[in-house]
Amino acid sequence: MQELIMTIMQDIKFYDCRVIEGSSTSIILDNGKIEELSRNFTRGAGVRALCGGSWGYTSVEGEINLKQGVEAASKLAISMNASTPKEDVELATINPPEVKNLPEIRIDPRDVSIEEKVDLLKSIEAHAKVKGINSTKVMYLESEFKVEYRSSDGIEGAYELMNVGFAVSAVASENGVYQAGRESRFGYGYEVFEKENVLELAGKAGNTAIELLKAKTPKGGEMPVVLDQELAGVFAHEAVGHAAEADLVLEGDSILENRIGEQIASPLVTIIDDPTLHKFGYYPFDAEGAQSKRTEIIKNGVFNSYLHSRETAAKLGGTPGNCRAQGYSMPVVRMSNTFIDNGDARFEEMLEEVKDGMYLIGSRGGQVNTGEGIFQFNAEKGYLIRNGELTELVRDVSLSGKTLEILNHVALVGNDLKMTAGRCGKAGQLVSVSDGSPHLAISKALVGGA
Amino acid sequence: MYELARKALKLAEKAGAEEAEIYYAANHSTGVNFRKDALENAKDRFSEGIGIRAIVNGAVGFASTNSAAQIEDAVEVAVAEARVRESDPDWVSLPSNGKYPTVSGIFDKKVETLELESCIEYALALIEGTKEVPGTLPTSGGFTRSKGKQLILNTNGIEIEEESTAISGFVDVITVNGQASTAYDFGISRSLDIDFFALGKNAAELAMKSNGGIKIEPQKTDVVFHPFAISDIIEEALAPSLDADNVQKGRSGLIDKVGEELAVPELSIYDDGLIEAGIETSASDDEGVPSQRTTVIGKGVLETYLYDSYTAGKAGVKSTGNSSRFSYTSPPSVGLRNVIVDYPQTDVIADTQSGIFVNTVIGAHTANSISGDFSVEARNAFTIKDGALDKPIKSLMISGNAFELLKQISGAGFDVRKVGGIITPSIRVSDMSVIG
Repeated sequence: MQELIMTIMQDIKFYDCRVIEGSSTSIILDNGKIEELSRNFTRGAGVRALCGGSWGYTSVEGEINLKQGVEAASKLAISMNASTPKEDVELATINPPEVKNLPEIRIDPRDVSIEEKVDLLKSIEAHAKVKGINSTKVMYLESEFKVEYRSSDGIEGAYELMNVGFAVSAVASENGVYQAGRESRFGYGYEVFEKENVLELAGKAGNTAIELLKAKTPKGGEMPVVLDQELAGVFAHEAVGHAAEADLVLEGDSILENRIGEQIASPLVTIIDDPTLHKFGYYPFDAEGAQSKRTEIIKNGVFNSYLHSRETAAKLGGTPGNCRAQGYSMPVVRMSNTFIDNGDARFEEMLEEVKDGMYLIGSRGGQVNTGEGIFQFNAEKGYLIRNGELTELVRDVSLSGKTLEILNHVALVGNDLKMTAGRCGKAGQLVSVSDGSPHLAISKALVGGA
Repeated sequence: MYELARKALKLAEKAGAEEAEIYYAANHSTGVNFRKDALENAKDRFSEGIGIRAIVNGAVGFASTNSAAQIEDAVEVAVAEARVRESDPDWVSLPSNGKYPTVSGIFDKKVETLELESCIEYALALIEGTKEVPGTLPTSGGFTRSKGKQLILNTNGIEIEEESTAISGFVDVITVNGQASTAYDFGISRSLDIDFFALGKNAAELAMKSNGGIKIEPQKTDVVFHPFAISDIIEEALAPSLDADNVQKGRSGLIDKVGEELAVPELSIYDDGLIEAGIETSASDDEGVPSQRTTVIGKGVLETYLYDSYTAGKAGVKSTGNSSRFSYTSPPSVGLRNVIVDYPQTDVIADTQSGIFVNTVIGAHTANSISGDFSVEARNAFTIKDGALDKPIKSLMISGNAFELLKQISGAGFDVRKVGGIITPSIRVSDMSVIG
C-alpha cells in the first residue's frame, strides 16, 4: 500500500483506507454453447473519514492516489458536520488483526486451462440434460482479490483470497408449463469440483425440473411444516440475522431492539454467525480491520448478541468484526456464515411430529421487513405430509410470517446441519455469505399457494 | 481512460480481432444518507472503466478493466478468449451505420454542478417531510445525484457518446407508538423536479395509516396494485419472458405467442428508449443501436419480443434497441428500456366496490421467471369498501401468475409513477387470490 504520511486534517479524528485489487473469470455455457467467456481486472480503493458525528466516504477506481482520497473524504465529513452537527461518533478499539487460518488451496484454478474448464462445464451440462430437459445454463466463476487495510489509529492488515464455483440450471417444459431446477457450489480452490460430486448435482437439477412439471400447486393456509436445511438457513439469515445487525437496530428498524437477554425463541434454537469457517462468507478480518470471530446471536432461545461494526459496538456495547463491503463501497454491518446449530431430532421424528402439514425444500430467495419482523420466502418445492408420511410433490409454495412467532413455534431441531453458499444484498451492495441449518419442524406457519 | 478508448480499438484490430467494440463508462455520484433523523454520511463515488468485445471467426471474447495501465492486457485477453472459442454460427456482426435520434431531458446542468450543501438540503427535506406526521420516525434514507458518460466505438463505424444526469431520494419510516408499522417512498428523475419534502410526508402518512392492521379471510377479490407493486411484478415475473434470448433458449412462457391475444384489449405495453426525460432514455442502446419505441403488447396482442443485435441476428429480425449492460464489466445482454403501461385511466379506487389496495410487495424476485408464477407478501395494504380505502391489513400473501394477470386487468388509476424505467399507473386486477 502506498505510504500514507500525512498529518490528519484538523477536526478529522479517524480515517481509513481499503485498497482492493483483483481479477475474475466467468464462463457461461448456455444450451451447450459457450455464451460468454470474460475476464475482468479491477483495482480501486475506498476511503472513510470521520468528523464529529459525520462520515465522509470516497471511492475511486483505477489509478489511486490515497492522499487525495483521504482529503476528499475528509472534506465531505467536515462539511457534513458543519451543516448538521451531531453527537460525536465513537469507535470501539480493536487490535491489529492476525491473518491466520486462510483456506488452503490445493489446486489453483489459474493453473487449469480454459479448455479444461470448458470441458468440465460441458460434462456438467450433459448430466443436467436428463430426458425432458430442453434448456440448460452452466456458469463458472473464479475470482481472486487482494485486500489491504490501513487506518489512522494504526490498524493494518492484508490478505489474498480466491473463490471458485459453479451454478447450473435446467428447464423442462410440457404443454406450456415450464419448471426449473438449480444447483450451485462455491468454495476455495479448484478441488471444490472434486470434493463435491458436481455431475450428480447437475443430474439433480435436471431431475428436479422434470419432477416439478408433475407437481401441483397446493392450497395455502396455516399448518405445521418441516423446513429443509437450505430453506431453514434462509430463514436464519433473512428473518433473524438481518434483525440482529446493529446498524438496523440503531435506525430503530429492528424487532430485536432492546431484547438482549430475553427468551425470544424456542429453547431448542441456537443461531450463530461465524466468519472464521471456510464457507462462502469467510474473511480473516472485516472491512475495518477487525478480527473475524464467532458470534452466538441466539443461544438456547435467548437473544444473546447483535452483529457489530466498530461504531455500533461502541454505541451498544459489543465486539466489532461484522462490518463488510462489496468492492470499494462504504462498509456496513453484515452477516458472514450464519446457521442454526444442530439439535438431536431425526427427520422421521419430525414427520411424525407434524403429522399433517408440508415439507418445504430449497429456496428461490427471500426478503424481510426487519422493523415489523415480517418475512417472505419461496421454497423451490415441497411435499404434502399426511399422517406422518411424505406424499405428493407440490410447487410454487411460499412461506411468510412473523419472525418471532416462527422462532417460538420451532418444535424440533434436526441433527443434519448443511450450509449453502449465496449472496446477500443490503444497502445496494452484494457480499458473499453462506447460511444453513439442520431440518426444522415448526408447529404453525403461514404457507401460501395458489 | 476516455482518451485511450480509440487506441484500444486499434489495438484489438492489431491483435487479430475481425470486429471489436469498446464500451467506456464513467460515473460520478454524490450521496447524503441519514439514519433516524440525523445525517450520517456523505459519499462520493467515481467509477470509470472499459469493456472490450473482440470477435474472431464468429466467436466473441470479452474483457474489462478500470485501470488505464491494464488496457493493453485486457484487449489481448479479449482477443485470446475469442480464439479459444468455437465459431458461433448465430453470430452476424456488431451493429453498424448508427443514425441517432435526438433525445431530450436526460441531462441537467444543474444536477451536474450540484454542490454537497444542496445534496444535504434535499436529504434534510426528506427528514423534515416525515416530521409533519407525529408518531413516526424515519429509519434510513438519502439523496443521491449522479452524472454519467458513456462512449461506444466499434470497428463497423459506430461512434456514439452521451452524457446524462440523475437524482434520487429514498425514505423509510416506522411508527413509534403501539404496533410498529413501516412504509417507504422514493423518487428518481433526470432533473431537480422531485418534491422531497412530500416524499417524506407520504411515507410517514402511509406508515401511520397502516398501523393497527386487521386480519382478513382468504378470498378471491379485486386487487389494486400501486405503481411500486405492479412494476415489481412486471419486472420479475413478466419481463424475463419478453427477452428474446430467453425465448430462443426455451426459457420463456411466451414462446410462440407473438400475434396472440395475451392481455385484455384495453392494455398496451411499450418499450421506449426515446421518451422525454426517461430513466432509460438515450440515443442508443448499450451497443450503439439507435433507440426506438417498440409496441410489445398492442391492444392486448403480443407484437414482439425484445432484441439486442445478437438475438435479432439469430432470429433474422431487426434489433429493437434493447441491448443493456449492468456495467462496463459485463458483456451486453437483452434488457428493458423505459416500459410504459397504458390502460384507460379512471379514479380506480372510487370505481372499486370492494377489494384490496396494495402499496408495495416483498419477495417479487422469488417469482418463477419462466412460468410467471409469483407469490408475494403485500405491504401497506388496505381494504377497499364502497370506492374508498377502508382498513389497513396486517399481513397479506398474494399469489398469481403474470400472464393470467394480463387477462384480468380491469382498471388503471391517474397516478402514473416513474418507478425507475417502468412508467405505470396503479393497476386493478380482478379475481386475485389472497391469504390474510
